[in-house]
Amino acid sequence: MAQLKYRMIPEGMLNGKLIPLNIVLIDYKDVKECGLEPKEAFEAVAKTIDGPAGLNIIDLDAVTTTSDGIVVEGTIIRMAASDRGRINKDFGYLEMIPLNYTDEDVKREPHLKVWREKYPDRTLYMGPDYKKKIIPVHNVVITGRASNNNSATEMMNIVTMEEILLPILGQLEILRGGKVLLGYTGEVISVGIGMVVAEEYGRIVPKRQYRCGDTAHGSGEYAKTLKKHIPIICAEKPVLAKYIIQALECGLVPGRDIGGSPAVLTVAKYLHKDIDFDNITDRAYEELASIGFTKEWMHSEFPLLTPEEIIARADELIPGCEDYEIYDSKDLVQVKYAEC
Amino acid sequence: MKLLHTKLPEFIKKMQVAAATKGSTPKEINIMGLENLRSAKMQSLRTGRIEHAVGEIAALDNVERLELIMIPRVPETMQTVIVKGIDKEGVCQKAVLEIINVLHPTEEAYLLDCDPENVEDRRPAIGNH
Repeated sequence: MAQLKYRMIPEGMLNGKLIPLNIVLIDYKDVKECGLEPKEAFEAVAKTIDGPAGLNIIDLDAVTTTSDGIVVEGTIIRMAASDRGRINKDFGYLEMIPLNYTDEDVKREPHLKVWREKYPDRTLYMGPDYKKKIIPVHNVVITGRASNNNSATEMMNIVTMEEILLPILGQLEILRGGKVLLGYTGEVISVGIGMVVAEEYGRIVPKRQYRCGDTAHGSGEYAKTLKKHIPIICAEKPVLAKYIIQALECGLVPGRDIGGSPAVLTVAKYLHKDIDFDNITDRAYEELASIGFTKEWMHSEFPLLTPEEIIARADELIPGCEDYEIYDSKDLVQVKYAEC
Repeated sequence: MKLLHTKLPEFIKKMQVAAATKGSTPKEINIMGLENLRSAKMQSLRTGRIEHAVGEIAALDNVERLELIMIPRVPETMQTVIVKGIDKEGVCQKAVLEIINVLHPTEEAYLLDCDPENVEDRRPAIGNH
């Protein structure tokens, strides 16, 4: 009988941080090698886990975007939630859709210029088809205690009500065997995740609800508290820096084409790239100022650094995460196998 | 046949009566999930089916007491929130309407102590009566 490989971060304490449920990441290549459909793969893995679990299938050959509109290599293509080895038949499974965008679509979502220029042969995925899913608002799957939300980048145990943030780049690094940060989300990322771009099938906010330059939170000085104390597993900062630099070098402008998150603004300042200050709304400025990214900071002089220097010094230069340590992802995850 | 709707207190009473009368001994039923409802009209056909299920379970000799738990069928509910300011005379002076989306555990979370083989799912597909 074939065996399906998967990676799991088990529920419980992990180096001082609470993992609220079992986190499962499956490489789509392994699913195909076993001759399984994604849903069958989830079912096979779920059978091996007694407690609540969030499960994602990742295609490293496709591309997606971060909440601030940075195009990255690899994406989640299916998401599930299981409890006691089962997946709820109505609400436990969701598919992301491949987006056959035209040039006209890319004009409306200009951050996708990076996809067109750098990854023209790769399939683009974001969130699910909001017109078809049964859950009304969130891109979420739920089975029993387990909830896998925001297109599989935020998992919760709804009974203990504990939560963890899993930004896409961190999940991809785990599959690639790279390094990740384990810490608390903190104030900077709490604000940063609100600086979204308009996306029709956005992984977190669909229907192009918020234009670039605005904030999806609109919470003033309270935005920084949103996820502050929630554990997070995310990519090392040099990985984030690399993709932000790529977007800026494609000519995308923070505040106009890509979200004005603290990380994006910081890299733009060190590269001496344009920022569309006039397009950033007052309420977005208010949230940024609450964590020190004031208008004075944005207009201040920064030393010009090369992309290589920014990547080398990314841990020092790019803000985000609190009380964190960098780990080899192999030290955080267990490699397991499910019969299929 | 008429598609009637049952009053909330009547719904509760029907369940209590079924639990108390359908077994060889009277049994208590703990009804949960209705605490927030002050007035509601409950689907009558479903009320009858649930009353029947309560009676069926009450009739089991190895059952000593019953629980009836009502949870949202769709585990993300979109709630309207009404914030009211009331004056000394009890009259509302100002109100704000807001919304909040709530994520709920699904039925599996309430059946952790039950062998899945003993769970009989009689629910119609979502959207059907």
